[in-house]
Amino acid sequence: MSHDWQPDFEKLVDEHQSMVFSLALRMSGDRGLAEEIAQDVFLELDRNLGRIESPEHALNWLRRVVMNRSADALRRQRVRGIDLWVEMDENHGAQYEPRSNPLGARLEGLLATLPSPQRAALVLRYQEGLTPDEIAATLESPLATVKSNLQRGLKLLRAKAESHLKEYIRGT
Amino acid sequence: MGLESMDDFECELQQGMLRRPAPPGLKRKIMARKKALDSERTHHRVVFWQRLAASIVLCGAVGGGVSWHNIQERRKGEAAREQVMVALRIASHLLNQMNEQLAEHNEEK
Repeated sequence: MSHDWQPDFEKLVDEHQSMVFSLALRMSGDRGLAEEIAQDVFLELDRNLGRIESPEHALNWLRRVVMNRSADALRRQRVRGIDLWVEMDENHGAQYEPRSNPLGARLEGLLATLPSPQRAALVLRYQEGLTPDEIAATLESPLATVKSNLQRGLKLLRAKAESHLKEYIRGT
Repeated sequence: MGLESMDDFECELQQGMLRRPAPPGLKRKIMARKKALDSERTHHRVVFWQRLAASIVLCGAVGGGVSWHNIQERRKGEAAREQVMVALRIASHLLNQMNEQLAEHNEEK
């Protein structure tokens, strides 16, 4: 616990806005909603800034809160997976950012069709590079559940990729 | 770049899951909302202290009024008791006088 560390809100926004926005976007599948979630998360951080003890604490806190907020938003909106995939593909795959890796973009789109617990585990694993233990701590879930979600999510995603992305598999 | 092996698949997934840059203006929006919330919080704090001060003044005024009323009532009570005591003293004096007159009258007989 480095109590000497003084959190600088603006610096924290600069450092983590990309991470927070990306997690919210991949969990919600909606760019506007993700931006709203990111704003809310940072405002919550501002309210709790006194309790943040270190840069690592800030990072973990942000990851945990953005995942919770995104799950809440998903629960509220009841977004259906396939609609989300279409929206992700149309709005985020090409329009906003030309991707150098089209297969990666398609995989990302397919990821949005997974059940939310599996998606959360995979996003934290492959976007943030967290270990299953760290994912369990972030999501406040049992380690066994996280491992199961990772395995099932990967399996499901692989199956979807094989049926939806045949052209990439054959063509490369 | 096949998806046959799990490692390749995971590699592709990782490539596709790089962090996206935040939308331009996100930080500006966050800072603007923070500023608005801060000023709202300050306003609420000022209103809270104003209300607290007004409540204290009101409680003081009501308490003072009640105390003043009690003091006045006690003073009235004391004055009334004093008057009763004076009346009793006068009555006692008169009775004593009557007793003395009766005693003198009995002695004369």
